[in-house]
Amino acid sequence: MIVLRLLSRTKLYWGLAIICLIGALASPHTSSGRNIFLSFNNLTDVLRQVSITGLVATGMTLVILLGGIDLSVGSVMGFSTIICAMLLTQPGWTPASIVAVPVAAIAAGLGVGFLARFIFHGLARGRDVDAGRRNEVVLGPWRGLRIPVLLGLVCGALVAVATASQVSTKFGVLAVLLVTPCVAMALGAINGTLIVAGRLQPFIATLAMMVSALGLGRLTAGQDNAVIAVYTGTNATQAFDVLRSMVWGILPMPSVFFLAAILIFGAVLRFTTFGRYIYAIGGNPEAAKLSGIKVAQVQLAAYMISGLLAGLAGVLFVAQYRQGKPDAGSGLELDAIAAVVIGGTSLMGGRGGLAGTFVGVLIFGLLSDILQLQNIDSNVQLLMKGLIIVGTVLVQEQNLGQLLTRWRGQAPPPPTRTGSVEAYRPPQVNVTSKTREDIHEAS
Amino acid sequence: MTTHGVSIQDEMASSVQSGRRSSGDDGQTSHNHAVVLEAKGISKTFAGVTALRDVDFDLRSGEVHALMGENGAGKSTLMKILAGVHVDYEGEIRINGAPVSFSGVRDAERAGVAIIHQELNLVPELTAAENIFLGREPLILGTIVDHRRIVKAASALLKRLGIEIDAQRRIAELRIGEQQLVEIAKALSLDARILIMDEPTSALSSAECDTLFKVVRQLAQAGVAIIYTSHRLDEVLALANRVTVLRDGQRVLTAPIEGLSQGAIISAMVGREVTLSRRDSVASSSASVLSVRNLTLDKVSSRGWRRVLQGVSFDVRPGEILGIGGLLGSGRTEILESIFGVARGWRDGDIAVDGEPVSINSAADACRLRVALVTEDRKALGLHVASTIRDNVALPSVAAASRFGVRGFVREAELATEMVEKLAVRCYGIDQIVATLSGGNQQKVAIGKWLATGPRVLLLDEPTRGIDVGAKQEIYQLIFGLAAEGLAIVVVTSEMPELLLLSDRVLVMCEGRQTGVLSGAEATQEAIMRLAAPGMSERAAP
Repeated sequence: MIVLRLLSRTKLYWGLAIICLIGALASPHTSSGRNIFLSFNNLTDVLRQVSITGLVATGMTLVILLGGIDLSVGSVMGFSTIICAMLLTQPGWTPASIVAVPVAAIAAGLGVGFLARFIFHGLARGRDVDAGRRNEVVLGPWRGLRIPVLLGLVCGALVAVATASQVSTKFGVLAVLLVTPCVAMALGAINGTLIVAGRLQPFIATLAMMVSALGLGRLTAGQDNAVIAVYTGTNATQAFDVLRSMVWGILPMPSVFFLAAILIFGAVLRFTTFGRYIYAIGGNPEAAKLSGIKVAQVQLAAYMISGLLAGLAGVLFVAQYRQGKPDAGSGLELDAIAAVVIGGTSLMGGRGGLAGTFVGVLIFGLLSDILQLQNIDSNVQLLMKGLIIVGTVLVQEQNLGQLLTRWRGQAPPPPTRTGSVEAYRPPQVNVTSKTREDIHEAS
Repeated sequence: MTTHGVSIQDEMASSVQSGRRSSGDDGQTSHNHAVVLEAKGISKTFAGVTALRDVDFDLRSGEVHALMGENGAGKSTLMKILAGVHVDYEGEIRINGAPVSFSGVRDAERAGVAIIHQELNLVPELTAAENIFLGREPLILGTIVDHRRIVKAASALLKRLGIEIDAQRRIAELRIGEQQLVEIAKALSLDARILIMDEPTSALSSAECDTLFKVVRQLAQAGVAIIYTSHRLDEVLALANRVTVLRDGQRVLTAPIEGLSQGAIISAMVGREVTLSRRDSVASSSASVLSVRNLTLDKVSSRGWRRVLQGVSFDVRPGEILGIGGLLGSGRTEILESIFGVARGWRDGDIAVDGEPVSINSAADACRLRVALVTEDRKALGLHVASTIRDNVALPSVAAASRFGVRGFVREAELATEMVEKLAVRCYGIDQIVATLSGGNQQKVAIGKWLATGPRVLLLDEPTRGIDVGAKQEIYQLIFGLAAEGLAIVVVTSEMPELLLLSDRVLVMCEGRQTGVLSGAEATQEAIMRLAAPGMSERAAP
């Protein structure tokens, strides 16, 4: 019984283990007899390949846990690749830099302002015995408003100056890493605002963003060159290659971002009030609202994070494939949702987590790696992917157990049509015993 | 204790003679005492837990047989066995003398037993008529649904039952009471001779209840045998012919209703003497914690703005319990929602907490001012039923227990433990899932969740809805205790005895207007009803 429960609780990891096992057994060998699947290079390649989907799936997990969905991540990612590639290759005030510089400055200013307020709040809360009973700490005008605003303005100005100074030349790797996710986050903020203030359904709002971000990307890139090539060393800075390098010869750089995102947001979900609120809102939004949770803020933040991570994925895409194109992320949103779902996160919200998403992303990555090693048609890969989604979700949601018991148990009785319209003879309400006698006599 | 021992034999004989009753016209006399259903030695265990132990039960045609018991006493298990929901049990069930063993609900329906669940099983987007014949639609040429026939048959059926509902209205447009009546019509269209009703009035207004009772009485008169459960003793006393009380899975009483007092039934249910005592009014001279002036609320409806609240003003002092009475829809809940900042619509008026004028525009604002609202519908609005007690109790306090946004897990657990102990929540521990608690204990968790925030004003909306008598008593004691600690409490309740018992003062609402505030001895049932009834209020002095 205990073994069974343990098995069922860790079934996700067993799926991963089984995929690894199949990969190792089925893998072709090199001429020297080494197992290609298990080789170091192959495994790091898998990690590299899943990183972009993985980053997007991380943000998607937050949104889905909240009970929402973000269909725009693919387009937002594509738009980010355009921004990133144009900043890297084209000096001067291009559409990309005109958008990116002010957005980054505003984002930095707001970010620092809120961070300052947050820190003052934490400090003010202190180690009070009665802290658990005291709700919100009220900060004075200086610490509550003036210092954060001041700090925010200063930081925003600094970022504006720093990025604007790079416009005349071309953007460096750090500047791109800062600016691009900010732009994507702004798109996420639009999603969030539409959902929170406009009361749009997440599906609708992000569907609209999915369509418009694609158009926006094409407009920004210009009609003629839908693909912006990035040749580091010739038309872009050599330093950008750091994003496709190996870190200490162990991990590919993209996977470092992916793993960091998983760890950071895993901790956020597990240990912070924000994470608790995400689960609470996903579980029962009305009850969460009535519990004093600022539902709108949490929702907005989640969509912004989803956009931010999509933007980061966009930068990594440019580094990986040496190009930016508006449709770089087409279909990415569905891959991400699939990874989240096979990771056991409920689409209804409130149930699941990032560990599952991590495994879900890896399962997809390993699967396509195995099939590639076997030289199997990529269309078969798609088919397998579909089967895996259905299979894992059946096991995850314990539908399988229900299905099995239904098959094993007795079949439900066939539907009858006994109580048809004619069959009903209503109780005669107003007939007294005397009238019955009358009826008897009459008949 | 059992008073039917002798007569049962005769009735058995007569029911065998009369054979299976299949049509409606042989039940004219209201009590011909034929036993239509007899259950003997019913036992049922769930995973080792005994839900029913050797229970005997009999039902005569034309009677309303009330089945009473606290939550967990086994009454819903018994009803489900009789209705074919549970098919594995020990014991024997006879219908009209013939032993039966249902394979499922459909099977029971074919034998003339229908159950109306507490949660209505109607499709909101279909009309009443379509719901009544759902799954059994008469067809033209075996393919096309004969819609005209459905409407005609359903209208006739509703009319014969004395229910004034247009069969072509969608269920979503009907009020809950009307939906309940449609459900009854549906059960009867299955040719049910035995009708099992599980808490049919729990969501009904008193006018709707009256209609329901009328229909139930008519059915009984026509020979339908009815098993009826309710937490409301007064309606059971008014409606039932006999009552069976279950406690801890065993039958403790079956008796005719005549000669039974409310107290006797409660004692049988609880197994001890229960006294409903009003507390001594606490004379509080201190300034009011919550004061509301000229509260108005307008809601948008399909026909433009509608005034839901008009000029409501009151004060609550520390240690005082203000009861809000009135009919369903008189604006009681809206008062609480307006104070808590979550009412939908346009709100006007002044609210002051501790003498300070405040503007509360969200639950978060209310929390900051230490105003707490325990909602009416605890499953949908009050609790995350799929989460643990710990998570539920800590939820409004998560921010307060945290530092730099990092949750204080230790503090959260402390709060949960403290509340579980203080409110005497019966559970295995703070990590038990709330959905597995009984209704009364869920309600305690819902209250505890707010007590953990250290409120000064506690707004309670229907604090004992769907809770059994014993647990009600505990909730009352709890509310008195909290008032004694100095909380200002506002209680909204539909149950008159509860209102009278709890309140130091009673504010009566009628159609969105405040028709009076009664205190102490003035607050009697008659006085409250006079102020609450529409059309009467003009004469009543506010």
